[in-house]
Amino acid sequence: MSEEVKNPNYWKSLGELARNEEYEKFVEREFPENATELNDEVSRRSFLRVMGASIALAGFAACRRPVQKILPYSDMPEEVTPGKPLFYASAMPFQDALTGIVVENHEGRPTKIEGNELHPASRGNTSIFGQAAILNMYDPDRSRYVRKDGERSSVNAFTDFCGDHFSDTAQNIAFVSEANSSPTYNRLKDQALARFSNARWITYEPFGEDNALEGTNIAFGQRLRTFNQFDSADVIVAFDDDFLNPAAAKNSEENTRRFTDGRHIESPEDGMSRFYAIESTFSITGSNADNRLRIKSSDIEPFIYALAAELSDSVSGLSAFSGISNKYSDHEWIPVLAEELLENRENSILTVGREHKPSLHAAVAAMNLALGNAGQTVSYHQVPHLDENNSREALVNLTEDLNAGRIDTVVLVGTNPAFTAPADLNFADALSGAGQVIHLSDYYDETSSLAQWHLNRAHFLEAWGDGSSYTGTRSVIQPQIEPLYSGISEIEFLNTILTGEQRDGYELVRETWQSYYTSDFESGWKQALHDGVAAEEEFPTVSVTLSDNFSSAAGDFATGSEASEGMELVIRPDSTVFDGRFANNGWLQELPKPMTKITWDNVALMSKKTADQLDVTAAGLGEAEVEVVAITVDGTTVEMPAWVQPGHADNSITITVGYGREGIGRVANKTGVDTYPLRTTSNMLYASDISVEKTGKTYEIACTQDHNTMEGRSLLRHATLQEYRDDPNFSSYESSYNAEMPGVAYAEETTGDSDPLSIFDAIDEQEYPADEPQWGMSIDLNACTGCGVCTIACTAENNIPVIGKREVSRGREMHWIRNDRYFDGDVNNPKALHQPVPCMHCELAPCEQVCPVAATTHSDDGMNQMTYNRCIGTRYCANNCPYKVRRFNFFNYTKEFLTEGDDPEIVQMAMNPEVTIRFRGVMEKCTYCVQRVNRAKIETKIETDGETKKPADGSVETACQQACPADAIYFGDLTDPESEVVKTKKNNRNYLLLEELNTRPRTSYLSKIRNPNPKLA
Amino acid sequence: MSTDYQYVPEPKLVKGDHTFGSITDLIAKTPLSPTPKLWYLAFGLANILLIVLLGAIGYLIWDGTGIWGLNNPAGWGWAIINFVWWVGIGHAGTLISAILFLFRQGWRTAINRFAEAMTIFAVMCAGIFPAIHVGRIWVIYWVFPIPNQMAAWPNFSSPLLWDVFAVSTYFTVSLLFWYVGLIPDLATLRDKAKSKVAKISYGIAALGWTGSFRNWWNYEKAYMILAGLATPLVLSVHTIVSFDFAVSVIPGWHSTIFPPYFVAGAIYSGFAMVLTLMLIARKIYGLEDIMNIDIMEKMNLVMMITGNLVAFAYLMEGFVAWYSGYIYEQGIFWLYVVGPYAWGFWILMFCNVVTPQFLWFKNIRRNVAITFVISIIVNIGMWFERFMISVASLSTDFMPSAWDYYSPSFWDIATYIGTFGLFFTFFLLFLRFLPMVAIAEVKGVMPQADPHNYDGETNEFDPSKTEPVVVQQEQTV
Repeated sequence: MSEEVKNPNYWKSLGELARNEEYEKFVEREFPENATELNDEVSRRSFLRVMGASIALAGFAACRRPVQKILPYSDMPEEVTPGKPLFYASAMPFQDALTGIVVENHEGRPTKIEGNELHPASRGNTSIFGQAAILNMYDPDRSRYVRKDGERSSVNAFTDFCGDHFSDTAQNIAFVSEANSSPTYNRLKDQALARFSNARWITYEPFGEDNALEGTNIAFGQRLRTFNQFDSADVIVAFDDDFLNPAAAKNSEENTRRFTDGRHIESPEDGMSRFYAIESTFSITGSNADNRLRIKSSDIEPFIYALAAELSDSVSGLSAFSGISNKYSDHEWIPVLAEELLENRENSILTVGREHKPSLHAAVAAMNLALGNAGQTVSYHQVPHLDENNSREALVNLTEDLNAGRIDTVVLVGTNPAFTAPADLNFADALSGAGQVIHLSDYYDETSSLAQWHLNRAHFLEAWGDGSSYTGTRSVIQPQIEPLYSGISEIEFLNTILTGEQRDGYELVRETWQSYYTSDFESGWKQALHDGVAAEEEFPTVSVTLSDNFSSAAGDFATGSEASEGMELVIRPDSTVFDGRFANNGWLQELPKPMTKITWDNVALMSKKTADQLDVTAAGLGEAEVEVVAITVDGTTVEMPAWVQPGHADNSITITVGYGREGIGRVANKTGVDTYPLRTTSNMLYASDISVEKTGKTYEIACTQDHNTMEGRSLLRHATLQEYRDDPNFSSYESSYNAEMPGVAYAEETTGDSDPLSIFDAIDEQEYPADEPQWGMSIDLNACTGCGVCTIACTAENNIPVIGKREVSRGREMHWIRNDRYFDGDVNNPKALHQPVPCMHCELAPCEQVCPVAATTHSDDGMNQMTYNRCIGTRYCANNCPYKVRRFNFFNYTKEFLTEGDDPEIVQMAMNPEVTIRFRGVMEKCTYCVQRVNRAKIETKIETDGETKKPADGSVETACQQACPADAIYFGDLTDPESEVVKTKKNNRNYLLLEELNTRPRTSYLSKIRNPNPKLA
Repeated sequence: MSTDYQYVPEPKLVKGDHTFGSITDLIAKTPLSPTPKLWYLAFGLANILLIVLLGAIGYLIWDGTGIWGLNNPAGWGWAIINFVWWVGIGHAGTLISAILFLFRQGWRTAINRFAEAMTIFAVMCAGIFPAIHVGRIWVIYWVFPIPNQMAAWPNFSSPLLWDVFAVSTYFTVSLLFWYVGLIPDLATLRDKAKSKVAKISYGIAALGWTGSFRNWWNYEKAYMILAGLATPLVLSVHTIVSFDFAVSVIPGWHSTIFPPYFVAGAIYSGFAMVLTLMLIARKIYGLEDIMNIDIMEKMNLVMMITGNLVAFAYLMEGFVAWYSGYIYEQGIFWLYVVGPYAWGFWILMFCNVVTPQFLWFKNIRRNVAITFVISIIVNIGMWFERFMISVASLSTDFMPSAWDYYSPSFWDIATYIGTFGLFFTFFLLFLRFLPMVAIAEVKGVMPQADPHNYDGETNEFDPSKTEPVVVQQEQTV
């Protein structure tokens, strides 16, 4: 057996001793009289009650029933063919960056979001937030009506109020808004500031790019947006920057695509970039690093200065750092990094996490400039809509003024500071100091309940809007459906405040866009709507020079940067619910977090060593109960479950925000722990010298992957670039196990065929019709970053139900494609590897063999198909699946997901009508998106007058493939020798999972290559 | 001429000074006398458990298989464990009646009726599980090859389908065999019954048995044929049940040793169950003369042999795991021993490997109390054997990322306990209304039945007596 198995402490991860207790708890939970289930808001039943549910509070008079409005066509619109989806280009705003999308629309209801190929931030791909946005729109818990002092009111009443209230233009008004790149929005913003003489505008995002802008201001004297072109760099150094994670970077899709482009390898001759990550939390970005150093977040600062000092001898512009000596000056990484960076001048990127201090951003910007990267691999952009001043300081000032009673009216646009603002500001209390508080938001949330006026916001799929991508490409946001709950968009809201009149968002956007087209507005506008992209333009690039004050500033902050040695707490946005805004999204809640595979909760992450110090034990196989720790920062204590994260920095604990909400919706409420109370203006990223104690309590966590090591099995094959060059066939079975594939020698001897023999000759000789395409997939593990978008894209495409925390913790997750995350190496400092696992569509499928009723069989085009109608649910197929990709409907998940509550039609509308809803008691699994395949086959047959039913290569994409920003998934026809998938399968890195079982999977993998620096190995 | 051999008298199979008449009275008195209070108590308890079973099944059908502790890697849990366990128990009866009959083992007559009844009820308990464990029980009939307009046939290459045929055939043949054997005794009860209801009921069930030579002739032939039919079934049923596992690709399942190992295990557990029940029944019903210590010792010997066969199979699993060089087989064996279910493995080792070793000692084999304890331990061990095979192998197979831990739910346990309700409900009805020992067959192994060597004075078998016994009675054919 492998080493890991012999080491019993952690990796085996078995808590046999607790078995009896656990068992008792399982028994206990079956009894309703114990009522644990009833209290638990996310138990299966309550959850399902929730998901489909509507709001009893909601009035029905104003509640539109879009199903009734849309479904029966008494008068058929011209372009609609029932059953045939239409696709419209639009864009998805996330903070102040827009991603181009294409929305699949079935008879007037949007069902799926795809990336827009023409949009530079998307290139056809989306992030997890993009995929989940559909469910956000169909969320029955969204606020459904206007409230005045908590009572139901109307938009008209609000309009009247505005006409009256805002006639006093001299009052002190504070606008607090989310970051928004919309030209229309910013036009209205400028108008508002002009009209109201005593108005101020604060753009508050709990996780934004303020510090980065401030950093460029220090370095270059201008607030500039940094854009890293990871594909053009040979050396990338990231300091605590999780730039591949949509929760940590606004343009994560583009970053992912560029990052993986720079590491794409087809043969041993190809090169790839080398990526160094220095971070505290084990992030997905860090898991893709060639060399990773785990240090506390508070140590990032001295580390950067030590590196700058090392570089200052060789390059000009860093003299401010020369002579700095701190605890990292003698670190083994410093000279190695300096050497690499100096060798790769103009060809490297340094980047630092956006929540780090401005001084660090300034230092990194100065290093990029000094190394010649600025203008080459790193560009700096002037972004017109960004505020002139630091918005976080402005929020502090606003709070002071509110407390002093100096503010008459507060207008909050979308943002939720009562929940997200730094805890020491007590923003919720401060709001009561304002005369009028007006709040536009998706949910009747923490801030709404403090406002005199609450307006329900329209989702971006429901309203007109516009905006710019991270780099400045403008797009129009087209509504896909009438607002379900008659919400209004931000621009309509602002316009009403400004003018006291209602105006349609369409007119407002068109008015803004008139200025972009000097002639022939209509055709330009139509083109922009059609393409989803106005024109590929960028925010103006600035050729930067070091600010004159930089040296003195840098000298100041570089001294006294010694970090404390005590325990630190790092506070980050959550990788699935972000700052809390996606907390009511069941798909995101149920998406396993990329590095921990935890669903439905936030936890306190710590290294094995730190956990040992705190006497916290890791959860064992199948153990749902984990220990709870109490974290105290400046007198505020939060209790939350502890989770051992191998590879986390020692003496450091990471928590995420966005959980523990109240009164939002029945998914978000009481899910997880609210950690914002620990985040203060001085602790925006980390707090030093905190105290952590074990409480002795336990908490149930639903984790989808209990075992973290491969047990020495070559499931995920990987090598360094050097090893690949030495042995290009390292991915083969022979190289992996140093043994011959069983049966091959005998097969060659007897049949001359090198395929292993099968005892099932009849199946072995199954003939596939020549006129049928033969589908196959390959997954490039070198590209996969482990973000999980494939899972959520599949959920959206294939109507996979949300089953709730209790069911997930019982190990019944329904995802058709899961993302395995293995740790490799030392428990304290392992490497992490990601492997998406869908159905392998084995040619000799073990599942087909054992089904007593032949409910799973092979199609002529080589797919392993599941016939739901025929399935009686013996689960034998799932047992016999070596890859464990089959999912069983233990309960009537879908029905409960879609029919509970008094307004279930809303969630039903999010379902894809092309995919069957599965009933209780049947098995399901990845279908290779057979509905897409068949649509393409039919279309091809029609287009070629029946000549062929083999779609052209690239014309059919599976949902996971389409969404993947790393383009890690290839899918196509194996009978087409020119197809991309065939090319990948001919690559010497191609291998089959559990090849020795002779299942002959149609899905294969391309092994992972790392390019570590041998000096740091 | 001097003889170099000597007659060694075998212990009498029926102890005590019994005549044909006293045997008939001893056995027939239970069905024909009024119901004892204790029986009502036991039957009530069994009925309560039966209601638990029906309730658990009802809720299962109402709410779905999710009420059990199943999860993604472990698609089969207690239901399949219980199925295999009960089927295994159901092996003893037919083995005793058919195979031992063909081998002319006279001692089988003391327990064959009893064991066969147990078999039938155990198979009934077993048969419940594959039916209810499916996700959509309302279409369970699709496993039968029923011609239909869509020409949708079951998948004949699926071991689950083989199970359907194997278990249903076994049940049918066992039931027929049992019933055929009952006929002469039912006629005896008919003749001895005083109440009209009993007379008519037993009369109908006795199919007009007159005890004529032709009746006996037909009966013996039928019994022989059924024994011949049942014999291969004893071996085939558990072989096919083992195919459920052995035909799959899962490490810990995919093993050629499974068929003989399962059959040995089944006989082992079946004999243990017969012993458990027999040791209680002989005491309560005063059948110590028939179900005597010699019989118990013979059964203990069978248990010792099959128990050691099973232990050998465990050993071979370890050896094969090592010798094959197959990392997944090695992985699962290692996980059995030290993994998450190691506690189950060591319980199994104690119950099934250590316990039968006590049976090497004659004193223990002949000790009722110790035998009773061992018989229970063996069945606990055999349950854990199926637990390890089903659950441990499934939970930790090829892909460590998919590993999970299986724990039963309340309903798993309720269903299992409920099957005892079903079993004992039927078994108590059997004890109450049917002759629990094959009267006619027991008489056949008594010395009196020997036409040549019976010494009427000593009531012993005497080989020196070669004269046919003169029966002072006119032989009529």
